[in-house]
Amino acid sequence: MISVNRESAQQTKGKKALARMFIFPVCVLVCYGMLCAIDPNKALMALKASGNVLLYVALPLAFVFMVMLILNLFVNPAQIARLFGKVANIKGIALSLVAGIISMGPIYAWYPLLKNLREKGAGTGPIAIFLYSRAVKPFLLPVMIAYFGWVYVVILTLLIVSASIAIGCFMSVFMKE
Amino acid sequence: MKIAISSEGTDLKAQVGHRFGVSPYLIIADLGTGNFEAVPNPGSLGQHGTGVQTIVLIISKDVKAALTGYCSPAARRHLEVNGIEIFTGLSGTVGEVLESYKKGEIKKAEAAKIENEPVKRVVDRAIFIHAMKRSVNQFASMLPIFLGVVLLIGLLNTFVSRNFLAALFSGNVVLDTFLGAFFGSILAGNPINSYVIGGELLQYGVSLFTVTALIITWVTVGLVQLPVEIAALGRRFALLRNGICFILSIPIAIITVFIVNLVTR
Repeated sequence: MISVNRESAQQTKGKKALARMFIFPVCVLVCYGMLCAIDPNKALMALKASGNVLLYVALPLAFVFMVMLILNLFVNPAQIARLFGKVANIKGIALSLVAGIISMGPIYAWYPLLKNLREKGAGTGPIAIFLYSRAVKPFLLPVMIAYFGWVYVVILTLLIVSASIAIGCFMSVFMKE
Repeated sequence: MKIAISSEGTDLKAQVGHRFGVSPYLIIADLGTGNFEAVPNPGSLGQHGTGVQTIVLIISKDVKAALTGYCSPAARRHLEVNGIEIFTGLSGTVGEVLESYKKGEIKKAEAAKIENEPVKRVVDRAIFIHAMKRSVNQFASMLPIFLGVVLLIGLLNTFVSRNFLAALFSGNVVLDTFLGAFFGSILAGNPINSYVIGGELLQYGVSLFTVTALIITWVTVGLVQLPVEIAALGRRFALLRNGICFILSIPIAIITVFIVNLVTR
């Protein structure tokens, strides 16, 4: 009985998550529908502008998929979990950095794991480094390069990596570890 | 030593779960103390990525062996890579299986097959298919919002003028960077959207300082996710981390643009 109730609750949760994902695009489509009724020419202009953006990112998106596939083939969250620890030395910092950079998916999916690791004694520094270094997204680099160029991406990436280490140190000090 | 048994229920009288990844519970039994706990199996949600969470869960519980009816080749590989033995083909109650394991009556019959070369090839193919499915799911899950953003940009292109944005941003580097950091903090979602929005804002003449701060805080500061972060990592940690990240995003954005201008000049 418990498992039946649980299964039904999980299915409802899954459907709700799926529905939430479509709220924003559906709202935008409704705006297009309203605009089309009021001024079809403007709606067409907006659609053309969107088409141009889509064409611009089409090739980088294909690279995004390839990098995603490569990461999924060689990296799994279980390995990322093992990269953490209470190690406060350079190795610990490097492992947290790597874990943050290669982690994928929405951040809220990672909170339960981080909580578990925290309870097991992982330091606040490594967790802060992990959360900040997630700003480096290897699989999205093709899109970023297409918009901002190599030089910008390299410089920003290096600064984010440096900042994540600095934040890890700040957090360790302020949280009095 | 701890072992995990897939289970249909929360006690030792429950039947062993037929499939390791999707059974409702995992019974984690400590052979040393004789204690056990029933943990809800995240894989039973049947959602994308939850199967791997099952593996992460049992690694975090320091489990050394997993007992179940059936385990997929991909999950088996992940478990074995992480030093967890897997025993399949089991049925009956959790208590019976536990006793059989203690007596050494359960053998790794299935595992032996994997060592044969032809089967290994099938496993590799299974891993590729698993990775492909996972990538397709990840890609598909970011598409609805992404397409919404692209359509919204079309509307903005049509209705928002350069003059309006020029009025919104003062031209003061620190203030505009602060505004970019603020918008990045309240907006959430896949970072690809911040790149597309940032790229389009540049076309409108918005400064690179603002766009860079927006890109940085989009991922590093999360006002929307703050309650979840507080619940998971504590109020002090979450507020302090988000605060530091917000403040730091402004000098990082300014330094980034300064260096880029220096290099590309």
